[in-house]
Amino acid sequence: MTQQAATRKLTIAKSMAEALSQEMERDPDVLVMGEDIGKLGGVFGNTAGLLDSFGPERVRDTPISETGFIGTAVGMAAAGMRPVVELMFVDFFGVCMDAIYNLAAKQSYFSGGSVTCPMVLMTSVGGGYGDAGQHSQSLYATFGHLPGMKVVIPSTARDAKGLMLAAIRDENPIIFMYHKALQGMGWLGTEPGAITPVPEEDYEVPIGKANVVREGEDITLVGLGATVHHCLAAANQLASKGVSSEVIDIRTISPLDRTTIIASTRKTGRIVAVDDDYLSYGVSGEVIASVCEAGVPLRAPPERISFPDIPIPFSPALEHFVLPNSDKVIAAINRALEPVNG
Amino acid sequence: MAEVIVGKDLWDDDSPGVISAWLYEDGEAVSQGSVIAEVMNEKISFEIMAPAGGVLIIDAPAETEIELGQKIGSIKT
Amino acid sequence: MTEASDNRPHRILMYENMVKSRYFEDAIKPAYLEGKQPLFNMAKGPIPGEMHLSDGQEPCAVGVCAHLQPEDTVTATHRPHHIAIAKGVDLNAMAAEIFGKKTGLSGGRGGHMHLFDPAVNFACSGIIAQGMGPAVGAAMAAKMRGQNSVAVAFIGEGAANQGAFHETLNLAAVWNAPVVFVIEDNSYGISVSKADCTAIARNSDRAAAYGMPGIHVEGNDPDTIYDAAGEAIARARSGGGPSLIEIETTRLEGHFMGDAEAYRPEGEVERLREADPIPAYRSRLEADGISAADLDGAEAEARSVVEAAFAFARGSDLPEPEDAFETVFTAGKRA
Repeated sequence: MTQQAATRKLTIAKSMAEALSQEMERDPDVLVMGEDIGKLGGVFGNTAGLLDSFGPERVRDTPISETGFIGTAVGMAAAGMRPVVELMFVDFFGVCMDAIYNLAAKQSYFSGGSVTCPMVLMTSVGGGYGDAGQHSQSLYATFGHLPGMKVVIPSTARDAKGLMLAAIRDENPIIFMYHKALQGMGWLGTEPGAITPVPEEDYEVPIGKANVVREGEDITLVGLGATVHHCLAAANQLASKGVSSEVIDIRTISPLDRTTIIASTRKTGRIVAVDDDYLSYGVSGEVIASVCEAGVPLRAPPERISFPDIPIPFSPALEHFVLPNSDKVIAAINRALEPVNG
Repeated sequence: MAEVIVGKDLWDDDSPGVISAWLYEDGEAVSQGSVIAEVMNEKISFEIMAPAGGVLIIDAPAETEIELGQKIGSIKT
Repeated sequence: MTEASDNRPHRILMYENMVKSRYFEDAIKPAYLEGKQPLFNMAKGPIPGEMHLSDGQEPCAVGVCAHLQPEDTVTATHRPHHIAIAKGVDLNAMAAEIFGKKTGLSGGRGGHMHLFDPAVNFACSGIIAQGMGPAVGAAMAAKMRGQNSVAVAFIGEGAANQGAFHETLNLAAVWNAPVVFVIEDNSYGISVSKADCTAIARNSDRAAAYGMPGIHVEGNDPDTIYDAAGEAIARARSGGGPSLIEIETTRLEGHFMGDAEAYRPEGEVERLREADPIPAYRSRLEADGISAADLDGAEAEARSVVEAAFAFARGSDLPEPEDAFETVFTAGKRA
């Protein structure tokens, strides 16, 4: 038996911190700011060690003033700096949305390309641990719906580091969403599939490119963040029943890689789109619409699994009933595989 | 065979900790010095490094309560 | 000598509400940790999610709420238990809500950070400073309807740096709203100290910028808070407009349960616990001639209602999964 070359593994939290550290070393214009990202190293561990390495000028704990410091980041970016700013929970966007969707997203367009906005807004998404309606949202659709804004979400530590490096170097404003269930913080549970080998050297994961994480012939499963792991679990379970599932990790919500999704669905003829954001007007709907308007012949009606159109309830008896999970993906796959009666 | 030990000096008192995660599976190859597990004590996380390169053997799975100085696995070099 | 330092019954009631809060938090702690040992995984156990305890901040709640009626509105934050208790929120339904039960204030939909009790006009939610607008709204509704009620918005010192703070103070002043803004300054916004993120030393000084009185209260003592709040609330009720009260208080626990608190200086928590406001107030009441029997009685009563609340919560059923889809909208129309 050959032994695979041993590589070191990281959690997503650590890989984000490593990307930030390496890029701050390389590029003196990069700085990080946000609530509790300095001394605490980030509530979700993604800035651990940065304050010690780079000092308080470049690693800034801010007051609870989102519209103030995100607006400030937009101005810094206009001046040619590379701010990485944290919005602690995506749910807090309400207090600072103008700086995001009216300033950052439109800076390049309003200036005819002469003033760019090379900033990264990193923000935690996702629920499933009882944090209720104002601390558990995913809001992929809300942010994917902003022209001029790029939005990425890694499902593994390897993609997290590569996407962060790519995001910082991109000339455009990028929202970097990280899913709380995948961070690798002990107190939020662990998704082993998110803890992966991460190269120590510099590398980028391309923005705007989805990833086929599992090849298959019978059905295409499309997910992002935590739902990639639901799709993989479903695929692995049904493999023993002879079902060959192709799993696509969206990775970039905007600009969406429709080409990869369409090509896969042409091959399989069946699609299940899975996202844990609210159902209506969502990512899974956009995926299916893209496949349908490309004229891909489908062997079964498309399926989408999302969080329903309700505020996220607190009680696990309610929340876990409505969250996407691998069982629901399996049920959807089985429905799609049912022979269609002529 | 190298032992994977929860270092005696990791935290100040003799309160128990818990293994919060193994970053590798039983039987996987690991490199010397890489972080192979995380343990928690009083809500603080600590990294456990591989003392040698080789094949990981896990004795105590995740969520097991552990003491300072305890052997939680070994590396078959 | 202030009017509070006598044997009026409200002092015993304040003490009772303080210990009721503390017993409640003390009962929450082991319940919260069930299922979260040995590995602290926030998702597990009968009370999942975050838990923000109010130990040390009880004087702020009781000193202010002692002046309020059920018709007066209170909005609070992610750290609400002591305020809800002082406001008279149904303790059984509150405990049941925290346990995510069908008998909870919102049938388990809101949880610890989103407690609504319209019977006593109490509401709280988790986004910093965003409870201030609704308090102004409640105050304006009362004013426009010719009612005598007031509203109080409780916030932390971190919220004084958030946009909503400045907007609502200005708006309340422009409209002469019968509202009082109360800052519980416990020195920390999670890990960041007030000094590190606030441009001035006293948030009460910011009141002048919005044309309203700003009152600074030291000592974390129910009687001084009672006096300051009494003046502000009376001013609001008599049509004199809004006020800002800044109370220096102490956060004896972490930001949330599970917070390692590595950012706090060595010995700080121990020092603050030595100044725990509850035993301190008991000593003062006894020194002022209130009998130990009365205080023991208050403690026993508080203990009993907290025990009953937890028994009620534990004994209640979980909601049906399909209940998740109820109350998103409300049927009916104004005739």
